[in-house]
Amino acid sequence: MQTTASHSPSLAAARQAAPARTAGSVRHYGRYLYLAVNIAILIFLLAPIAIVVVFALNPTPFIQFPPVGVSLRWFEKFFASRDFMHALGFSLEVAVLTTIAATILGASAALALARGNLPGARLIVATMLSPLMLPAILTGLALFQTYVLLDVGRPTWGLVAGHTLVTLPYVVRTTLAVLHNFDTRLEEAAQNLGASPLRTFFEVTLPLIKPGVLAGAIFAFIVSFDQFPVSLFLVSPGNETLPVTLFNYLKFDLDGTIGAASVVSIVLAFVVVIGLDRTVGLRSYVKL
Amino acid sequence: MMKALGSSRLSRRRFLTASASLGIGTIAAPYVARADDPTLRITGWGGKWGEIMKAEIGPAFESEFKCKLQIDSAFPYLPKLQASSRSAPIYDVLHTNSNEQWAAAEMGLVEPKIDPKLVPNLADVYPYAVSDKIVGVSIFTSAIGLGLRTDKGYGSITSWKELWDAKYNGVRGGYVIPVNSLGQAFLMMCGTLFGKGQTDLDAAYTALEKLKPIKIVDFTGAMEKMLLSGEVGLCVIHDSGIYRYDGQNQPTDFVSPSEGVLSLEQVLTITPGSKMKELANAYVNYMLRPEVQKRLAETVWYSPANKKVKLDAKYDAKLLTTPEKVSKLIQVDWKWYNERKDEIDQRVNRIFRA
Repeated sequence: MQTTASHSPSLAAARQAAPARTAGSVRHYGRYLYLAVNIAILIFLLAPIAIVVVFALNPTPFIQFPPVGVSLRWFEKFFASRDFMHALGFSLEVAVLTTIAATILGASAALALARGNLPGARLIVATMLSPLMLPAILTGLALFQTYVLLDVGRPTWGLVAGHTLVTLPYVVRTTLAVLHNFDTRLEEAAQNLGASPLRTFFEVTLPLIKPGVLAGAIFAFIVSFDQFPVSLFLVSPGNETLPVTLFNYLKFDLDGTIGAASVVSIVLAFVVVIGLDRTVGLRSYVKL
Repeated sequence: MMKALGSSRLSRRRFLTASASLGIGTIAAPYVARADDPTLRITGWGGKWGEIMKAEIGPAFESEFKCKLQIDSAFPYLPKLQASSRSAPIYDVLHTNSNEQWAAAEMGLVEPKIDPKLVPNLADVYPYAVSDKIVGVSIFTSAIGLGLRTDKGYGSITSWKELWDAKYNGVRGGYVIPVNSLGQAFLMMCGTLFGKGQTDLDAAYTALEKLKPIKIVDFTGAMEKMLLSGEVGLCVIHDSGIYRYDGQNQPTDFVSPSEGVLSLEQVLTITPGSKMKELANAYVNYMLRPEVQKRLAETVWYSPANKKVKLDAKYDAKLLTTPEKVSKLIQVDWKWYNERKDEIDQRVNRIFRA
């Protein structure tokens, strides 16, 4: 009994400590598991980029593991090629025009849908997002046939229109997401203080929805710059975008130039995102 | 001074007028340009072919025929032609491999034959270039045979059947048959090698089954690189895919099997609805000129169709430039193949999926 009595407090403490230790070790292992899953996801995301970089820097005209050295010969070939340079410039031009068009149209549409009390607004939203459901190659083919029927050929504005069609849903979606949490009393306050509707829009509404609009614009730029299926049918001879030029190139010459072009594309996408972050501030969107 | 400045100030009306003019001008410019120059719209390859066409062959044609040559080198050509109007097709001249030309001819998208009266150089081509296996005219051909690594000690190869030798397990190369002309031609060759002829599909399927394990790719460019890297040691390939590395000290060689080589023709046809028929015929004739044929053949290692072409010794030794060499060519019946393409695709997909 005495023994029992003398052991009772330590047993009770042990019984109390055991679950605590278990919980601690679960948390401990959970942290490792969390870290491992995140590292696996990062590897999954970055491995293709790493392979492309290795391919671009490898001096041999084929993919080789392990690499036999480091060379910039494919970058030289890429930058020396008039076709690739023209395609790069043209892709940038189309992406910029598409971003402008998709941002203006998408943000305006989102505002109208969120505020306009439009009949069938949900149906309109679904319709505006439908280009994402349809295989882009069919969108390209359908537009191509439309242009042929209209006898307008394959003009640059037609390509921009095609890209705008597939990038518009991104801007609409991201702007609608911001408008969903928007406090309309701020606009009312501005108008009560004498601001005109236009001034209210530019000084209150736009700054508040800017993060969503901006995120949509970035998506629009990247999707347009990398767009292949829609461009395949809509590019005109002598005015091919970079993805189409790369596709045609690799049918005949599968060398590191493709890797170099991919690295340049990745760097450009980074530059655009970082540039926008520095100039208009993406961080505010991240906070949302 | 102030008055002068004031008078030059941009009024809203002037701005709108200028903007509208600029917009209309921008939209109309291509049509105005189109009205000025007759434009011949053709298709063409990329790579070295595209480079020389843009740099030399195309500009020389434009200068001689006072026209503009618009070359579409962005695949796919056939769906684009299909989607355009028959009376106003997107291309005047279609340049593709023979299998696609047959598909186009079956749909009435291209004229089945070229008129020799309008294309005088047709009189000088080898018979295969205008045979009953060809729609339009073949301006060049490559020979499909075997590509071999010469540094692996495989010994000399003389027959297609050596591709089935077990020593090539794991280093044997072939194509995704539904999307690659070389793969499709090779399937027909399997029927000839192991059955009653090109159309013996059962024999071909059995032979393909026995080719496994095999590394398969979509594009011939990818096969070239696999051979160069040593990933494959023996593969189906066209001669130009090997000869283009001539002088680069690569341990690879092209083998013309004793049973014959398959032809991979570069074919030109004219679309029935073309508004530039005269220019289209002139272009076909131009591409068959001996000097144009020589320049292209020596750039891309394609065998010229014109009998009168005299290539430099290096090219003459390897390409099909004599009636004897040309007699080794085996042409595929693409009309027959295309009629069964869906069925063949399903079957070969089943074979290689496993």
